[in-house]
Amino acid sequence: MLGEVSTVGTYRVAVTISYKRGLKDPEAETIHRDLILRYGYSSVKEVRVGKHLTLLVEAPSPEEAARLVREMCDKLMIYNPVIHEVQVSVVA
Amino acid sequence: MPKVAVIKFPGTNCDEDVSSAFKEVEPGLDVRIVWHKEFRVGDGWDAVVVPGGFSYGDWLRAGAIAARSRAIEELRDSAGKGVPVLGICNGFQVLVEAGLLRGAFLPNEHGRFVCRWVKLKVERARGPWLSATGDGEELDMPVAHGEGRYYVDEGEYLEVVGRVPIIRYAPGYNPNGSAYDIAGIGNYDGSVLGIMPHPERAANHVLTPRGFRPGGAAIFRSIAESLKRGW
Amino acid sequence: MFEAQWSEHCSYKSSRLLLKLLPTHGKGVLVGPGKDAPAVEVFPGIAVVFKIESHNHPSAVEPYNGAATGIGGIVRDILTLGAKPVALLDMLYLGDPSDPRARWLIKGIVRGISDYGNRIGVPTVAGDTWFDRSFNAQPLVNVACVGIVRTEKLVRGSPRPGDVIVIAGNPTGRDGLLGSSFASKPLGENPSQEIGAVQVADPLMEKLLIDSIQELADLGLVEYVKDLGGGGLTTAVVETAADFGLGAELSLDRLHLRTELTPLEMLVSESQERMMLVIRKDKLERAIEILRKYDIPYSVLGVFDSSGWIKAYYLGRKVAEVPARELAKPRSVIRQSKPPTDRIAITAPIRDLPLPPLNEALKSLISSPNVARRRWIYEQYDHEVGARTVIKPGYGDAAVLRIGPGDRRGIAVKGDANPRYTSIDPFRGAANSVAECYRNLVAVGSTPIAFVDEPNAGNPEKPEHFWYFEMMVKGIAWMAEELNVPVVGGKVSFYNEDHTGRQVKPTATIVGVGALEDVDKAVTMDIKYVGSQLILVGTTFPELGATEYVARVHNIEAGEVPTPRPSLELKHSEYVLELVRRGIAVSVHDVGLGGLAVALAEMCLLGDVGADIDIEAVPCRGCLRVDEVLFSETQARYIVEISPGKLEEALKIAESRNVAASVIGTTTSKKVITIRSGGRQLLEVPLDTLKPLYEGSLEELLG
Repeated sequence: MLGEVSTVGTYRVAVTISYKRGLKDPEAETIHRDLILRYGYSSVKEVRVGKHLTLLVEAPSPEEAARLVREMCDKLMIYNPVIHEVQVSVVA
Repeated sequence: MPKVAVIKFPGTNCDEDVSSAFKEVEPGLDVRIVWHKEFRVGDGWDAVVVPGGFSYGDWLRAGAIAARSRAIEELRDSAGKGVPVLGICNGFQVLVEAGLLRGAFLPNEHGRFVCRWVKLKVERARGPWLSATGDGEELDMPVAHGEGRYYVDEGEYLEVVGRVPIIRYAPGYNPNGSAYDIAGIGNYDGSVLGIMPHPERAANHVLTPRGFRPGGAAIFRSIAESLKRGW
Repeated sequence: MFEAQWSEHCSYKSSRLLLKLLPTHGKGVLVGPGKDAPAVEVFPGIAVVFKIESHNHPSAVEPYNGAATGIGGIVRDILTLGAKPVALLDMLYLGDPSDPRARWLIKGIVRGISDYGNRIGVPTVAGDTWFDRSFNAQPLVNVACVGIVRTEKLVRGSPRPGDVIVIAGNPTGRDGLLGSSFASKPLGENPSQEIGAVQVADPLMEKLLIDSIQELADLGLVEYVKDLGGGGLTTAVVETAADFGLGAELSLDRLHLRTELTPLEMLVSESQERMMLVIRKDKLERAIEILRKYDIPYSVLGVFDSSGWIKAYYLGRKVAEVPARELAKPRSVIRQSKPPTDRIAITAPIRDLPLPPLNEALKSLISSPNVARRRWIYEQYDHEVGARTVIKPGYGDAAVLRIGPGDRRGIAVKGDANPRYTSIDPFRGAANSVAECYRNLVAVGSTPIAFVDEPNAGNPEKPEHFWYFEMMVKGIAWMAEELNVPVVGGKVSFYNEDHTGRQVKPTATIVGVGALEDVDKAVTMDIKYVGSQLILVGTTFPELGATEYVARVHNIEAGEVPTPRPSLELKHSEYVLELVRRGIAVSVHDVGLGGLAVALAEMCLLGDVGADIDIEAVPCRGCLRVDEVLFSETQARYIVEISPGKLEEALKIAESRNVAASVIGTTTSKKVITIRSGGRQLLEVPLDTLKPLYEGSLEELLG
């Protein structure tokens, strides 16, 4: 309608879930040791493995989109705060 | 006595089952479990089996890390020589990741590991691993996998159907959503065969549940008779 | 070090005295309780090693890894005797799936067990599953592992002074610091703060340990093996030294690590998938070759000596010195025990229940989460790996495995409990749990050999919680003694309560092993033929108290728990085993949850054959109502399908043994379950109506 300024946009939010630092990550260790280092890529010092989600979120601002996704991750146990850390960022 | 190697990787589970199934069905073969570091194509194996399990924990992708091992790379380089190679379950995944067989594997359609008996139909019983079976023969065996959904694109499928051995899940028995109901597939002469279900768990009636027959025995009989005939 | 060793989980300070009541001796018991795992000879020269363990508290906080690491720990205990792990059982007492947190826990636990068990190549073949609101925040995850070993290969050596201590497996890290102390406290308010208590499972390393230790044991290269479990390095070294009158000298700086740790952290870390190998000095090089072959990280940590003291050094500096004996044996604590005040009311006999429409009652029971087919769960477990599983999950009352390829001999395994019974009458409930396990082993045609037990209770410091524990142990001890089957080992789990201090339903989990001479004779419960006679073994009494029926249909969880009947269990089991041996019984099912009607329905559904039953033919002393006949959970009963033409023989044998065996009906080509009273029809439900309820209920709840 005339006169109304809409700031609602659609934002692509990336979520990466990985084990907290200090916890054992057997998948990452195996890939590092039995594949990467075995082939001589000794310059690779560390591997971490995570689960990746991309969410398309309608929100008034990118900050609000990220906040909503963080809330969902917490409430719906998309990650387990006991062992996981989660990174949420707006990609586009 | 023909020599058969059963290659074992860290995480391989079914090596002993394969070895004992051979002994129960075809005692006339010299079957050895060979640790992957000690496997040499040059040791004169008459046939090679890559058994099931979770090699390297199935980390990254099922079979992906084992496919890059020295043992499998040696095996791949000599595949042209026609030495019979059978990949069972994880072994099938390894052969596909290594390029010895076409296709790829995806997680089961319903997202869960599934362990149950299925009925299979053999289409094009060619090669040393199926010589004791016939076209259209029904074989029963159990599956046990989480990433068993075989995928091959339409073009490639049309190119090979009718020209390579294919084993399909009988109607109603596809446990994972495999393309074209494919449970197993081979190369053109059938010397390399991959099969998702476990013949070694279906080689005698004691382990076979009601309503099924031990369809795995035919695979072991096939390779034994083929080797005897000088494949 | 003392906190790790003296916590409840490690040293049973609250329970040790009561556990002495359990009958632990029997013919063939090679290794009794107190060691890492009990061993019983099942056939000449062949021993079964089996053990049960709980991982309740970690599973409540991180269900996937909590359940997975539980399996890892118990499998390693089996390895300590040089046995090959051949079966896993999971007894899960889970919350109500409609509660979001409980549902999250359930899915994580099942996937954790599935992913770990499948990867290590040990089939999960049997178990028990129960859904109840009381377990919403604190589920019970009891896992058992069964191993097989030739008696002459049992690793039972004694470490001697001079023997080398090698730690093999995962590098030690900070995860799990003081985990067993975590299991000895009530669950905190905010579970996400409990990070120190959960470890990430590594099934690949576990599989490598299984393979390498088998090889080391086969070649006679290890004197003694111990798992680094609760209490970590401290417990393993101290317990070994104390058991054999030794001391030890450890150089902690040699321990292979994942991150930087202080010497204290090294001593108490509970990183998973690590084992202590005690190796004679002259065999060390060969043993290390085997570890290297499998790429297993290891460190040569120290030696045993005759000093009686554990001395730990770090870079030449002594950092700890404790006497071996004192650490391992703290004083027992005498706990107060008081029955709850509402106990009389809750066990009062039930009266004046309205009689429901029977068709609906049966449908309700068949779709009950505690009854419905567990296919959604067990198909996620590889139950065939190892090529030993003769009777698979879902076909028989117990799983049956052959000893090995080419061997006709086999074992049956099963795990059972009834939290409803034990929360109402813990003595009777625990006794009946033992009886149910016993019947399940018999139903597949095996002779029960031994049990292990795991009582799960609340807070032992609260007298009203401790009373349940005390009565459960007494119930187990009594029934096992009456049945003449020893309880060769077990575990105890306390502090199963939520942060408000409410305890979960106390649960007495029993795992049993039976022996079969010929697995070909093992019997499943699916009806085999149309037109066969069905026999009910045992008399039924009006015992609706604490049944699935009154809970599910009338919403009552109270009443008199069915009377335990040990002498009838003995008589009836011998009768059933004779029928199986002679090929007279073609299908057998024990009568449990839901009573006669449910047991019958299950047999018909699995066999896809109908049945026609006349309850006038069901001997019931004191029954006044139809539902008492159909749904009572009277103990010591079985339904047997008789081989065509063998009925007379079956009845004659029953008479000679003074066993109540009555022909209650026949199987029919019409795929309907009909129950009548003489000519009057009481219940008629087509199999097609029941099938989706039986097969689909769990998937609907959890899928």
